[in-house]
Amino acid sequence: MMFFSQLKGELKKLFARKRTYIGYVVFLIFEALLLTLWVKVGRAQFEALAERNFIPVELLSSSLTATYWIMGFSMFLLGSIYFALVAGDIVAKETEDGNMRMVLSRPVSRLRILVLKYCAVLIYTVTFVIFVGVTGYGMALLAMGSEGGLFIWNPEMYILAVYPDRNEAFQRLFMGACFMGLSMCVVTSLGFFFSCLKIKPAAASVMALSVFFIDFVLQNIPFLANHKDAFITFRMANWIYVLQENIPWERIIESYSILMGLNISLFIMGWMVFQSRDFKT
Amino acid sequence: MLSVKNLTKKFAGKDALKGISFEVARGEIYGLLGHNGAGKSTTLGIILSMVSAGSGEVTIDGISVQKNPRKALRKVGAIFESPAFYDYMSGWDNLKVLVGLSGPFDKKAAKEIVEKVGLTERIHSKVGAYSHGMRQRLALAQSLLPEPEILLLDEPTDGLDPEGIKWFRDFVLGLRKERGMTVLFNSHLLSEVEQMCDRVSIIRAGELVYEGAVNDLRDDRPGLRLRASPEGTLTEVVRGFGGEKMPGDRWVFPEDTRIPAVVRALVEAGAEVSEVTPVRRSLEDVYLEHSRLSKP
Repeated sequence: MMFFSQLKGELKKLFARKRTYIGYVVFLIFEALLLTLWVKVGRAQFEALAERNFIPVELLSSSLTATYWIMGFSMFLLGSIYFALVAGDIVAKETEDGNMRMVLSRPVSRLRILVLKYCAVLIYTVTFVIFVGVTGYGMALLAMGSEGGLFIWNPEMYILAVYPDRNEAFQRLFMGACFMGLSMCVVTSLGFFFSCLKIKPAAASVMALSVFFIDFVLQNIPFLANHKDAFITFRMANWIYVLQENIPWERIIESYSILMGLNISLFIMGWMVFQSRDFKT
Repeated sequence: MLSVKNLTKKFAGKDALKGISFEVARGEIYGLLGHNGAGKSTTLGIILSMVSAGSGEVTIDGISVQKNPRKALRKVGAIFESPAFYDYMSGWDNLKVLVGLSGPFDKKAAKEIVEKVGLTERIHSKVGAYSHGMRQRLALAQSLLPEPEILLLDEPTDGLDPEGIKWFRDFVLGLRKERGMTVLFNSHLLSEVEQMCDRVSIIRAGELVYEGAVNDLRDDRPGLRLRASPEGTLTEVVRGFGGEKMPGDRWVFPEDTRIPAVVRALVEAGAEVSEVTPVRRSLEDVYLEHSRLSKP
């Protein structure tokens, strides 16, 4: 019970900041931009593709398909940066500002402080991804109406799926948003780990992003194509398999077990560093 | 109440503390004095388990801070120089978040403390809009929740105006009177330590160079700031009266010494007397004496 009231306090700290809401506004603007691009440019290309594959265009050029597109791009482009910034701040900023001394003067273990912060930032990550999904869908509904199903096409992940039934399409997309949220927790964990080191908050965010983008670049080098499974960003992209008609659960469980192991390892390493640190003025 | 035994600490291979030991009795106000970098904050950091000790042990009411920090710190409230709050949250929310780390947040107790420190009207304003004095009052409020038995104050009056300093001093003295609060007061403001503390220790370059009751420091022996030439005559005459040379042209004499007789003797010996000022040995004098006497 005490843990939850302390977690509430940690979430309060996170959500009491103005810049948290600036982040939400920025994402809304970015989503609107992506939707405009989709309606003006992407939709026509997609319809041509659907026609070539004998898929009924009027059924699948829909708000749900637009939501999938908006969600994927906004998270990859902006989400990783945003989560690295928030997680990079979570410990390092309090240390830099001197708040950590006030916290540590309380009869609470350092492990508990970190668990609270980590839980808060994970909750933030998952709910933020769902927020992007929900608002993206809301905007797409306004722009394109509520008709049509879901069309998924991702050649890099070898996925082509069609959901003419709107209810099933909606459920699959929501599930996708949840798994995408879990994937983004890796960026958050990276930011959190670096935040526990004796470095500035900005440095923690830059380090986390560097690891993320280096991994992504390596994953896309042609001669490493057979080793994609070894890269974090490829495992993170496995969320998309929940949109495949026959969900490959074994593959998904394997990937998310690896990602969870990575998250736990990053947390433990961060904790070990944090535990051994001296906090002085 | 608080026992510090043989604390040592090194930072980057350099000794920050070289075996500091002292004890603070229940209900006592104990001052830690020292220059910046002397080791006061490191000592406080170790007491609060924020800094690991190289060796030695700190116990609070018999509970080891090193072995059981959570239990030991239950009895402690702490205030730091320039207290850092979450500026984007109200004073009340800051209290809820910080006090909530110690246990359930008691609204009634919090309201009482907020009233006591005089923040009732502004407690729901954002801390970013608080003055330094208000922040320090909020720091005091958070340190008093929930009911500590010992307060650790790390240069708490730094940056406060004279009115704020007086308010703070009276408040802390009131806490001792009302609740029997034990206080460890870390400062380089000598007058504050002198006015508040029962006992004091002086730390220099990581070593405790003096420890004693503040009353013992108040030297009632007659003291004079004497300037006369030639210096040899001055020394010879004054020593004849049992005078003892202190730093800063200051001389102290045995209690029954008649100062006019000293001055007359100086004049009769042909010395040209340029200054005779009665002085009392202050804590600053003691501090300076010890700072000079004990080279690191």
